[in-house]
Amino acid sequence: MNKLQANICLMCVTLLWSTEVIIFACIPNSVEPFATTAITSMIGGVLLCLCFFKRIKNALKNGGWKLLLTGIFLSVLNCSYNVLYQYGLKEFDVSTGAFTISMTVVILPVILMMKKQSVDKKTWISASLVLVGIVVSYLGKLDRISVSGLLVLIGGCIIRAFYIIRLNEAARKYDPVPISAMIAVFVGVISFVIWFFIQPETFAAIEWNTQIIASLVIHAYFIVMFAQTLNIFAQRKATPAASTIIYSMEIIFSLIWGMTMPSSIVTPVTPDVYMLIGAAFIVIGNLSEIVDFKRKAVKG
Amino acid sequence: MNKKNTPFRLLGLTFVLVAVYLVVSIPFKVMEVIPGFTDIRPVSMLQPVYGIFFGIPGCIAFAVGNLITDIASDSLRWSSIAGFIANFGGPLLFYIYWDRMSRKPFDLKNMKNILRHIIVILVVAVVQAGIITPAVALVYPDVDHMLLFGTIMINSTAFPILLGIPLIIVLQEELGFKTAVKIKKAE
Repeated sequence: MNKLQANICLMCVTLLWSTEVIIFACIPNSVEPFATTAITSMIGGVLLCLCFFKRIKNALKNGGWKLLLTGIFLSVLNCSYNVLYQYGLKEFDVSTGAFTISMTVVILPVILMMKKQSVDKKTWISASLVLVGIVVSYLGKLDRISVSGLLVLIGGCIIRAFYIIRLNEAARKYDPVPISAMIAVFVGVISFVIWFFIQPETFAAIEWNTQIIASLVIHAYFIVMFAQTLNIFAQRKATPAASTIIYSMEIIFSLIWGMTMPSSIVTPVTPDVYMLIGAAFIVIGNLSEIVDFKRKAVKG
Repeated sequence: MNKKNTPFRLLGLTFVLVAVYLVVSIPFKVMEVIPGFTDIRPVSMLQPVYGIFFGIPGCIAFAVGNLITDIASDSLRWSSIAGFIANFGGPLLFYIYWDRMSRKPFDLKNMKNILRHIIVILVVAVVQAGIITPAVALVYPDVDHMLLFGTIMINSTAFPILLGIPLIIVLQEELGFKTAVKIKKAE
């Protein structure tokens, strides 16, 4: 996989993540979010293990405990930032929350710098453009921003930044398929434990019907199995900072769904002028990261 | 080891491909994603994959999978014959293009090849919509033909481009899948 292909894969991952809201809309609110995560992650993890049994077995033989611990550590980070996002987002409206989550783009290069790792000038420019986009989107609703919610979300963003850095390191060191399978299985287990504490009846508490089963299966295929594995493969060729910048496109996709999908599926979004300018900055930030201007200039 | 394509192996491969098709397509037939616009077919992302990587068995599997999905979801109509032809022809066009018409082996390593692949996807979508829409119009004149044409075009372009291209990249570059075209030339 080359850099262009990695960027295409990351864009696809971002697109798939943005469709999560559409799939979740088909699952009744009575189903706990941890139940959804537990079930879909377990289905995805088990399917990955079945499809790539030999590959995973060999990787575990070679990687041993280190690989297993990496999988567990990544799963813990994954669950932690998701929990913080879930609680933080309750304090925001959908669009502002989505813009705030993109703060990872700015936090990640700072963490890399603190770890004394070099960050491209181009990445700093892209991250700055995305930050400007987020700040502009806040204008006009500063009075509605909850400080506690903001702090919780920033906490989530910091953990997510660490997660992306560690995932990137793991993707370069180990086979992405076993990592993806392990993250799915362990996230499933951790989410199940949390689900059990919140709702001890677990599976019996869900009023099962074909719609719920189909939605969970689709989420397991496309978000857990496909997007997660694709993401780890792409991480091998992309830098953590570049991937985070591409992830920020999720807001743009979410805005498109919010404007085009029926209100029964997605909370309708009528973007104000600030959101549109913010979104434009985010797109420009992405383009400046993805497009290889230097190469073009040489060719030209 | 010389793995010859014996009829038994090809039959086995076709069965596996049909099973994969059904596993992906059935949930979408059950779940009404967008009310009033139910026929969303992400399984179309497999169309170029089946044609390019598995050749004729892939084409048969794609058509049979579509037919079984129609039967399972109680939507078997006379127009399913046209659906069968279109769903066999779609992957076949990808296979024919990369096997007979293209001078270069298939890969999506640069923008030029990706654009070529997208053009083939668009041609396939037009051909499929051109087969299914008149057939449905003939049997069911009261169906909104423009909506049907648009739905087929969206399904046959959006999913193979947005999801199919990354899937092909991973299959070819990372999981080591060989294209049917390449195998033929090597033989």
